[in-house]
Amino acid sequence: MLDDRVYTVSELNAAARRLLEGEFPSVWVRGEIAEGTLAPSGHFYFTLKDDDCEISAVRFRGRAPLAGAVALVPGTVVLAEGKLTVYEPRGRYQFVASRIQPVGAGALQAAFEELKRRLQAEGLFAPEHKVPLPRFPRRIGVITSPSGAAVRDIVSVLARRWPLAHVLLFPSSVQGETAPGELVGAVDRAVRYARSEGGIDLVIIGRGGGSAEDLAAFNDERLARAVFACPIPVVSAVGHEVDVTILDGVADVRAPTPSAAAELAAPSRDDLAADLVRLAGRMHRTVVAAVRTRAARFSSRLRGYLFRIPQRRIETLEQRLDAAVSDLYRRTGEGLRRRADRRARCADLLRLSDPRRPLERGYSLTFIRGSDRPLRAAADARPGEAIETRLATGRLTSRIEEVTPE
Amino acid sequence: MTIDKSLAELERVTARLEQEDLPLEEALELFEAGLTLAAAVKSQLDEAKVRVDQVIEKTKDAFSLEPFDLP
Repeated sequence: MLDDRVYTVSELNAAARRLLEGEFPSVWVRGEIAEGTLAPSGHFYFTLKDDDCEISAVRFRGRAPLAGAVALVPGTVVLAEGKLTVYEPRGRYQFVASRIQPVGAGALQAAFEELKRRLQAEGLFAPEHKVPLPRFPRRIGVITSPSGAAVRDIVSVLARRWPLAHVLLFPSSVQGETAPGELVGAVDRAVRYARSEGGIDLVIIGRGGGSAEDLAAFNDERLARAVFACPIPVVSAVGHEVDVTILDGVADVRAPTPSAAAELAAPSRDDLAADLVRLAGRMHRTVVAAVRTRAARFSSRLRGYLFRIPQRRIETLEQRLDAAVSDLYRRTGEGLRRRADRRARCADLLRLSDPRRPLERGYSLTFIRGSDRPLRAAADARPGEAIETRLATGRLTSRIEEVTPE
Repeated sequence: MTIDKSLAELERVTARLEQEDLPLEEALELFEAGLTLAAAVKSQLDEAKVRVDQVIEKTKDAFSLEPFDLP
């Protein structure tokens, strides 16, 4: 082909791309996976190679559902279907896989599908077997590798969110030949520990992320059955999985990572503290309202029944009632103070609902001088009026120069 | 008291408190009891520190805990 025109680099790459995509819109290639990386975006970048050559390849997230839970581990020989294209910014040509099937692992894949179907038919994945997690777990079992990132991630979430947790680590390897047996053993140990040592509220089983991973241990039938039979609620936490594992199906709750499992397992201390303040506020309002209603009712009854009694006597009675009510208020207040003295925490609690608290953070209240209702709208004030501003400490008096009612 | 029991009790106290025509004395007692409970839960939350132990099974069904240092 003779061509006199001068291409820009972009034009040349685009032309090459059209050419390759036109020539290889759908091909099958057989090769071994090398250097697979699952990017945070969900795209899987890898290299396919044979004895002499290699080609860079990508499987875009969502584009190509992987049948079953086959991990794209380096070393796996696969058959991939896809097209050839050029990644123009780099001028690199690559294979975009739309389907990947392990070669030889085809039998493995079939076994996985068969296991999944069988367990499903037996009801191991059924929602009615899922146990809800306890609201306020104290003892949290963690089944994972003691040297992995999973236990660290779980503990760091719990330390922030739910420091009441007591983490019980049941160590087990999470990959390799012995992993399934060890995981089953750890589940069994957790169950027996709970039986003899006074309970475990929930168990997290999983592993942290890496690049493409070996998930075989989490697809093991023995583990599935052990988890299904486990009387303790189980959260699965197999990090960065390419696909759903059997464990995910059988666990009571499925989390995408160990950190997420800890988030799902534990309530937040801050939310609970906020609930307490709300509850205390509700109680306080109820009691104050009760005292007021009763005082008012009593007072009107007095007027009704005692109309014959001389006015002076009524006044005396009313005075006594007032005294009784204010005594009641005082005693409530004193009760509060007594407890506040004994428990600094209680004071904290009440201070949280104190309207002056925002002032300590730099907000202020403004009053037209002589009024005791805080100003809410600029339109309620007029130029020339004196205003008083209350700060956390002290007050300012100023005169309004301009009103902008918005 | 465990935190769930304290909270259940607190919810019970609040609900009881909100009943109509509760004798005033009882309302005040409930109020004080409620605040005490709330304060107790709050101090539990404030003072707690997460514990991490490794469970060791010495012989069958004989367990011991060893403090676990995070990797």
